Amino acid sequence: MTDRQKDASIDHILKQGLVKPPSLCQRVREILSMLGFGFIFWDMSYSICFTIPTLVITLLSLLFVPERFSYSAAAGIAPMLFLLITFFAETSERISGLYELKQTCRYTVRQITAVRVMCYAAAGILFTGVVAAIMADTVNEFFMLLPICLSMLFICAAVQLSALRLVRNGWAVAVISACWAAANLAVCFVVGEWWESFLRSVPIAIGMMAAVLSAAILVLQIKKMLMEANQYAIA
Amino acid sequence: MLLLNNVTKKYGNFTALKDINLEFTSGVYALLAPNGAGKTTLIKMLTTLIFPTKGEILWNGNEIVKLDSVYRDAIGYLPQEFGYYKNHSPYDFLLYLAALKGIDRAAASRKADELIELVSLSDVRNKKMRKFSGGMIQRVGIAQAMLNNPKILILDEPTAGLDPKERVRFRNLISTLSKDRIVILSTHIVSDIETIANHVIMLKDHKLLCDSSPASICETLAGKVFETADITSVREPHLTLTERQEDGRTITRFACDVNYFGAARSVAPNLEDIFLYVYRDEQTVCREVV
Repeated sequence: MTDRQKDASIDHILKQGLVKPPSLCQRVREILSMLGFGFIFWDMSYSICFTIPTLVITLLSLLFVPERFSYSAAAGIAPMLFLLITFFAETSERISGLYELKQTCRYTVRQITAVRVMCYAAAGILFTGVVAAIMADTVNEFFMLLPICLSMLFICAAVQLSALRLVRNGWAVAVISACWAAANLAVCFVVGEWWESFLRSVPIAIGMMAAVLSAAILVLQIKKMLMEANQYAIA
Repeated sequence: MLLLNNVTKKYGNFTALKDINLEFTSGVYALLAPNGAGKTTLIKMLTTLIFPTKGEILWNGNEIVKLDSVYRDAIGYLPQEFGYYKNHSPYDFLLYLAALKGIDRAAASRKADELIELVSLSDVRNKKMRKFSGGMIQRVGIAQAMLNNPKILILDEPTAGLDPKERVRFRNLISTLSKDRIVILSTHIVSDIETIANHVIMLKDHKLLCDSSPASICETLAGKVFETADITSVREPHLTLTERQEDGRTITRFACDVNYFGAARSVAPNLEDIFLYVYRDEQTVCREVV
């Protein structure tokens, strides 16, 4: 393409009034600066109040887990902060009468949910670190366990976000949280020993790769939720 | 200008709306139809909550789906079931929704104060909405819909559940707000429309039945509506519209499609007559009037 043709194309694009869509980071920054955390987490104090005691009970239950199941217990509990907060906060958001109204605003409830999920995932990473630290006996074991727990967190978050994106039903989030708990219990009862030894055999490098890959899937889901507000109807 | 071109909405095999063509310029447009006729589906498409299966909705020549937030900036919406935060004051609630609408804090604060005064809620500006009446909540609802000074104001059943006094107040408010903007009002309460609407859009069997002024719609039944104190004397096939008591007699209002030369008095048809006549075979006819 010659320079003249390039200029003509640019002129044509400018005449059409096309603008470059903002990137994921730009969109998140814009929402954060416009709304601030105060409005992003508006009226969520009840959800947080329900989450904290449930989380404490979950953490206390770790103390009673037999050492021979420490990896599978850590992997199952790692996404709990994320699951609990999305369960309490997003379910109440979705069944509230304001959901539709918020979807008609410039910053839609779906976009705000995506930003909130990012915040939950960030808090979930810290929680995962705490779980791995509690369950690991040595530093080496901590670094083996951490990527496995992070992978579980990111997979769980990506699945949860897909449900938030694609399913309108207000209870979809609750169902996924319940399914995660049920699946972990089922794995422990059915193939408990095998699952534990499998997790213990995962090399750190493979665990890290799984964590990075699942994190990438989560970011992709967040991007879709933020950018494709016009693709999925909510009712 | 808001334009609907051959808009169809299907849910699986069920067609909620079929081939709707409409054009909105400024004024109050009333969507009149019984429950289940597709009013809320149409409203949801206009507010981008759902998208047409076929056809397009254009705002100033551009498809609203592509306009995305630009279109959402142009609309104000009051849903049928208006949720609100019971533990917050109207002022805080308006500031919150103003932020979602992308209005900066200083402007939002000014606009919230202005709208609270407009809807006569200044004395409860900082009170929690927990103890507000239905009418007060609806007024908060209309205030939030006006926050971004919308070019298109969409109100889904705004007067449902309001007492007569609140309803009249609400109608006056809508009338005031309808200057220089499109107000789309979904309702099955005929008296609301007679008072404020410039255009009436009627839906039947999930299709557009008519889009005209209330006067010209009433004209379609001219010469066909009668009143009598002795309905048993009317031999011609007729449709009973309403009954009322007057001086101890039951006055029956009826519509007659064939030429009628009996003793019954011919009267000017109103929108309620039209509604009852058009939707006579519907199960859920609403005859609520102030």
